[in-house]
Amino acid sequence: MTNNANVAAGQQKLRSKKGHERRINGTIYTVLVVMSIVWLVPFVFLVLQSFRSYKLEKGGMVDYLLPKHFSLDNYAFLFEGSNFFSWLGKALIVGLIVAAVSAVLIHACGKLLDKGEESRGRRIALIGGSLLVGFVALTALTAAMQGFVLAGSWVKVLLSLLLFVLAGWIMARVYLKQDSKLLRSIPGYVVEDRHEGLKKFVAMLAEFLVLGIIVQFILAPMTMSQYVRWYINTLTIALFTAVLQTAIVLSVSYALSRLRFKGRKLIMNAVLVLGLFPGFLTMITLYFLLKQLGLTQAGAVPGLILIYCASSGMGYYISKGFFDTIPKSLDESARIDGATRFQVFLKIIMPLAKPIVIYTILMAFMAPWGDYVFASYVAFGHQNGYNVAVGLYNWVNTNDFQNYFTRFCAGGVLVAVPITALFLALQKYYVEGVTGGAVKG
Amino acid sequence: MVDLDYLKMSKPQKFVHNLGRFFKALPGRIGGGFVRLGRAIGGCFKGLALAIADLFTTFKNGDWKTRLSYLVMGSGSLARGQWGRGLLFFLFQTVFNLYMVNFGMAYLSKLGTLGTVATEKVGRKTVYGDNSFLILLYGVLTLFFVVAFLYTWYANIKQNKISQQIEASGRKLKSTKDDLQSLMDSQFHKTLLALPTLGVFVFTILPIFFMILVAFTNFDYNHQPPSKLFTWVGFENFKQLLSSGSASYGDTFRQVLFWTLVWAFFATFLNYFLGMFVAIMINKKGIKLKKVWRTILVMTIAIPQFVSLLYVSKMFAADGLINTYLMKWHWISQPIPFWTDPGWARFTIILINIWIGIPYLMLIATGILMNIPADLYESARIDGANAMQMYGKITLPYMLFVTGPYLLTSFTGNINNFNVIFLLSQGKPMGLAGNAGHTDLLITWLYRMTVSDTNYKIAAVIGIMVFVVLAVINLVVYNLIPSVKNEEDFQ
Amino acid sequence: MASLKLEHIKKVYDKNVVAVHDFNLEIQDKEFIVFVGPSGCGKSTTLRMIAGLEDISGGTLTIGDRVVNDVEPKDRDIAMVFQNYALYPHITVYENMAFSLRLRKMSNEEVHRRVCQAAEILGITEYLARKPKNLSGGQRQRVAIGRAIVREPQVFLMDEPLSNLDAKLRNQMRAEIILLRKRIDTTFIYVTHDQTEAMTLGDRIVIMKDGYIQQVGTPQEVFEAPRNLFVAGFIGSPQMNFLKAKLVKEAGGKYSAQLYGLSVPLDEEKCAKLAAKNVGSQDVTLGIRPEHTQLVFDQTANTIEGTLRVNEMMGSELHLHVDLVDGTSVILRIPTLDLTEAQRAGLTYGSKLRFTFPEKVTHLFDPKSEESLLF
Repeated sequence: MTNNANVAAGQQKLRSKKGHERRINGTIYTVLVVMSIVWLVPFVFLVLQSFRSYKLEKGGMVDYLLPKHFSLDNYAFLFEGSNFFSWLGKALIVGLIVAAVSAVLIHACGKLLDKGEESRGRRIALIGGSLLVGFVALTALTAAMQGFVLAGSWVKVLLSLLLFVLAGWIMARVYLKQDSKLLRSIPGYVVEDRHEGLKKFVAMLAEFLVLGIIVQFILAPMTMSQYVRWYINTLTIALFTAVLQTAIVLSVSYALSRLRFKGRKLIMNAVLVLGLFPGFLTMITLYFLLKQLGLTQAGAVPGLILIYCASSGMGYYISKGFFDTIPKSLDESARIDGATRFQVFLKIIMPLAKPIVIYTILMAFMAPWGDYVFASYVAFGHQNGYNVAVGLYNWVNTNDFQNYFTRFCAGGVLVAVPITALFLALQKYYVEGVTGGAVKG
Repeated sequence: MVDLDYLKMSKPQKFVHNLGRFFKALPGRIGGGFVRLGRAIGGCFKGLALAIADLFTTFKNGDWKTRLSYLVMGSGSLARGQWGRGLLFFLFQTVFNLYMVNFGMAYLSKLGTLGTVATEKVGRKTVYGDNSFLILLYGVLTLFFVVAFLYTWYANIKQNKISQQIEASGRKLKSTKDDLQSLMDSQFHKTLLALPTLGVFVFTILPIFFMILVAFTNFDYNHQPPSKLFTWVGFENFKQLLSSGSASYGDTFRQVLFWTLVWAFFATFLNYFLGMFVAIMINKKGIKLKKVWRTILVMTIAIPQFVSLLYVSKMFAADGLINTYLMKWHWISQPIPFWTDPGWARFTIILINIWIGIPYLMLIATGILMNIPADLYESARIDGANAMQMYGKITLPYMLFVTGPYLLTSFTGNINNFNVIFLLSQGKPMGLAGNAGHTDLLITWLYRMTVSDTNYKIAAVIGIMVFVVLAVINLVVYNLIPSVKNEEDFQ
Repeated sequence: MASLKLEHIKKVYDKNVVAVHDFNLEIQDKEFIVFVGPSGCGKSTTLRMIAGLEDISGGTLTIGDRVVNDVEPKDRDIAMVFQNYALYPHITVYENMAFSLRLRKMSNEEVHRRVCQAAEILGITEYLARKPKNLSGGQRQRVAIGRAIVREPQVFLMDEPLSNLDAKLRNQMRAEIILLRKRIDTTFIYVTHDQTEAMTLGDRIVIMKDGYIQQVGTPQEVFEAPRNLFVAGFIGSPQMNFLKAKLVKEAGGKYSAQLYGLSVPLDEEKCAKLAAKNVGSQDVTLGIRPEHTQLVFDQTANTIEGTLRVNEMMGSELHLHVDLVDGTSVILRIPTLDLTEAQRAGLTYGSKLRFTFPEKVTHLFDPKSEESLLF
C-alpha cells in the first residue's frame, strides 16, 4: 500500500517535473522564434523592396511592404551599360577550357613522370613545357574568341603568363605528389580513396576555372556600369587585402608567439598603446601620404589596399593566441630534424594553423566590403574609385534618396548574398577565432 | 600560507575585504607604477650613458677598421670581408646623407616656426611660400630618420666590436652567405617583422606623432596650407576643448564624453548579458534546431553593416516602415521621433546595437559554455545545487573570469564604435556647440571635425582625449583584475 | 657516433637564476649516459643545451671534435625523442619519419629505404599511413624513436621518453630500448627522473640535484658506493634507511658504530678508508638499505627493537615500516619465503620486532656535510 503510494507520488513528481521542463522549453522556443523574426525581418524587407521598380512605383519610403509589381528594374539598373553577363559567359567558357586542358596536361605529365625515372630536371622540363604549350594555346584561344589582338599589351600578357605558370606549377606539384607511383608502392600507404581523389580533382578544376576568368579579365576587360565597377573595385581590394593582410598578420603573430628576440615585449607593448588611439585621428595624414604616392581618387583601389594592409600587423592578437596553443616541442623537434625556422613556419606551423588562417582570410576579406570612412575619404568624389559601401551610401544619403532607395536595396542584396554565403560556409572558423580570441583576452 | 580568517568570511565580507584591500593597495600600486616608470626612464638614461661610454672604449681599443667605421659606416665590415653588411651600412649612410642635404635639413630647420614665408599673390601669379603641413610632416619624418640613423650607426660600431672580438679569439667571421641564411633561421624574426614594422611605422606611428603635434598648432580652416601658414600655439586647443565659455567646447565635450561612456557601457554589458542569456537558451538540453537558431542570429554579423544598418536606419525614419505601419494601424497618430529627439535617438541606437551585438556574444558564450568542465556541474548536482544556483555559482563566475579581458577590449572597441553611430544617425540630432550632435561619440565628432569642419587642431585634441580616457580605463581595470582573480580562480 | 665533452657548462636564466652549475662530463663514443634526478635538477636543461634548444651561458660543448656552442640544432647532427613525442599531427607516420630526410634533400628511394627499415625495426610498418592521432601511446613512442633513428645521428638524445606511458608499457618499452641500443650502436643521452630506468639502461649514470652533479658512475658504483646522502636516498627503492649513530675510534685504527645500544665493528676496508681520512670519533648518519635488513626472532643481544606500523605485502616480499624508540622510521624488506607462517602472522600493527643487518653493507655519512665518509 505504502509502496504503491510511493510509486504514484514518484510518478507524479516525475510528471510535474516533465511538465515544468516542457513549459520552460516552450518559453524558450517562443523567445527564439520571436528573435528569429526580429532578426530576419529587416532582411526580408530589404529583399522585397529591391523588387519594387524605381520606374513604376516612385518614392523611397512608401507605406506598404509588398511591391505592387515585382520587377527586376532595380537590378537591371545596376548592370545598365555593362556587358557583364556576356562577358561572364565567355569567361566561364574560357575558364572551363583552361581548366580542362590544364587538367589533362597535368595528368599526362604525372603519367609520363611515373613511367620514367624520378629526376628533378625531367620533372621541371615536362611540367614547364606542357604549361608553356598550354598557355600559348589558351591565350590564342582567348584572343580568338574575343577578337582581341595581343599586340600592344605585353604587360598584360606577361602578367597573365606569370599568374598561370605560378598557379600551374603549385598545383602540378600537389597533384604529382599524391599520384606518384613511388608513394603507392609503400606498404600500407593508402592513396586517397576515390571520393577524396574526386574532391581534389574538382578543387583543382575550380582553381583553374578562376584562373581562366582572371586571364580573361586581364586580356579582355569588360565594360562596366558604375555599380559593377564599384563591385569589382571592392572585390579587388578584398582579394588583395585578404592575401596581403593574412601574410602580414601570420608573420607577425608567428614571430611574436614562437621566436624569442630582443624587443619582443617592446613591440607588444607599443602595439597595445598605439591601439588606444582612435583610428580616424590619422586620416588626414594618411590621405596626404597616399596623395604623395598618387594613390588617391583615381588610385583609390591600390591606396586602400595599402592602408588596410600597412598597419594590419597590429592585429596579431587572435592568431598569436592560437599559435601559443601549438606545443613548442613541435618546433624544437623540427629544428633538430634539420628545419630552419622558416621551414618550421612553413611546413609545421602553417598546416596546423589552418583554422586561424581561414579566420584571418575571412576577416580580411570581409572588412573592405563595409568600409565607408576611409574609402570615401581616399576616393574623394572620384566615382570610379568608390567601393560599394561608398557608392551605395551616397545613393541613399543624397538629395535624390527617395528615388534611389530601392536601387540601394538591390545593390545591397547583391553584396550581402555572396558575403553572407561565404560567411555562413566558414562560420565554424569564425566561431573558433572569436571564441579563442575572447577567451585568451 | 593559508589565510584561514579570510576563508571564514561570508561573501559580502569578502567583497568588502577585497575592496578595502584594493583601495589600500591602490596608492602603493600607483606609486609603484611611478617608481617603475621612473626606474625605466632612469634605466634608459643609464643605458644611453653606457652606450656612449661603450663608444669611447670601443674606439680606444678598436683597430683601424673599427675606427674607420665611426666615420664611414660599413667600412669596417667591408674591410673584414663581410661585404653584405658593409654595403648595407654604407648604402644607408649615403642615403641618409643625401636625404639630409637635399631635403631633411631644410624641413628640420623650419620645424621651430613651421614656416614664415606666407603664400602671396603677385599680380595674377601665386607665389607659394612655406607649407606648414609639409614642414611639420617632413620635419617629424626627418627626426625619425635621424634617430634611426643614430641607432644604425651605433649598431654598425657594435658589429665591428663583436667582429673584432671574434677575430681576436681566432674564430671565423660570418660571411654574407651566413648572414643571408640566418635571415631564414636565427634571425627569422627580422625577415618576418621588417615589412609589417615599416608599415606600422609609416602609416600609424608617424601619422599619430604628427597629429599629436597638430594638437599644439592652430591648423584649421583658417590656416590651411598651402595658401596659409599655421604655427605652434601651445596648450591653446586643449583649453578651448576643455574649458567652458562661448567660444569653447567644454560643455559639448563633457556631454559627448558622457554619452560615449554611457553608450559604451550599455553596448558592452547589455549585449554581454543578453548574448549570454541567448546562448544558454539555445544550448539548453532538449532544445532542437540549435544550428538553425544560431545561423539566423549570425546573419547580422555576416551582412555588411553598411547594408543592414543603413536599411534599418531608414526603417526607423519618420516616413520609414515602422512609423507608417504603426500609423496605418492607428497605434500612433504622430510618427515616433526615432532620429529627431535626442532621448529617442539614443535609445534607438542602443536598441539596434543589440540586434547587431547579441549574435557575437552568443557565439563567444557558446564556445565558453562548452568549455566549462562537465564535472563541475556534476559535482554541483551531487552537492544538491539547482539550476539557478549552478548558473550563479558556476556558469556566471566562469564566464566572467574567462571573458574579463574580452569585456575590456569590447568596452574599448565600443568607445571607438564608429560604424553603428555613423550609419544609423550620423550623430544627429544636432544642436550642440562645435557642430556636435546628441548621439555623437567622441570618435564621430572627431570624424566630423576632420572631414566637414576641417578643424584639424580640435580633432587632434579630441583624439588625444580619447586616448587618455582609454588609457585610464585600461590601467584601472588591469589593476583591478588581479584582485578579482584570486576569488574566481578556475585554472 | 661521437664522443661528447661538456666543460664548465653553465645555464643562467634572466641573469640570476642558475639552472646548471659548472657541469663537467666526458661522454665516450657509443656510451649510454643517463641523467637522473628530481624535477628541477637541471637534467633536461643540460640535455636541451646539448641539443641546441637552449643557449649555453658558459663553458664549452664539444661533439666529436667540433665546438658546437653556437651551432644551430639542425647542424649538430643529433636526434631527439621528446617527452610528449612531438609528432607532427598533420602528416602521416611515414612523412613524420621522412621529414628530416627530405629536408636533407635525400632521394626518394633512399628516404623510402630508411623509413621502411626503421619501421621494420620498431614494428610499426602497418601504421605508416596513419596520422599520429590514430595511434596509441606506445605506438606514438615508437614513431618518435623511429623518426630519430632514420637520421642515423651521431648522438641520440631522449628526454623522459617513457614518462607518458602506463607502468606496464613503460617496462616493455624499457626492454625495447635496451634491444634497440644493441642494434643501433651510437651515443645515447637519456634523461629521466626514474631511478629504475636509470639503473637498467645506463652504462653510466649522472645524478643531479639543484643544478649540480652529485655523482657520476656505473649503476653498480652509485648503488654500492653513494657519495652522499642524496645519492644514497635517490638510488634504490624503497629508499635507504638513515639512522643516527656514533662513530667510535678505537685503538689500533679500528672503528665501530654505535646505535640504539648496538655496537657494530666496521670491517677492515672501511676502517682503512676512515683512518686514511683521519676521521675521529663523531656523530654519523648510518645508511642501511631495506633489503639488507634481517628480522631476528630469538633473543640475541645485537639487535635493534622497534614497533611495527605498516606491513605491506608485496607478494615475494614484505615491506615493514617500523618505528624505533626515538621515533625514527625505518623500512625493512624481508623476503616472504624467509618467514614461517606463524612468524608472518605475528607481524601485526603495534607488534614489537627486532632486526639486524650485516656490517658489510652499511654506509657512513657525515651528518653535517652529508658527504660519505668512505671516499
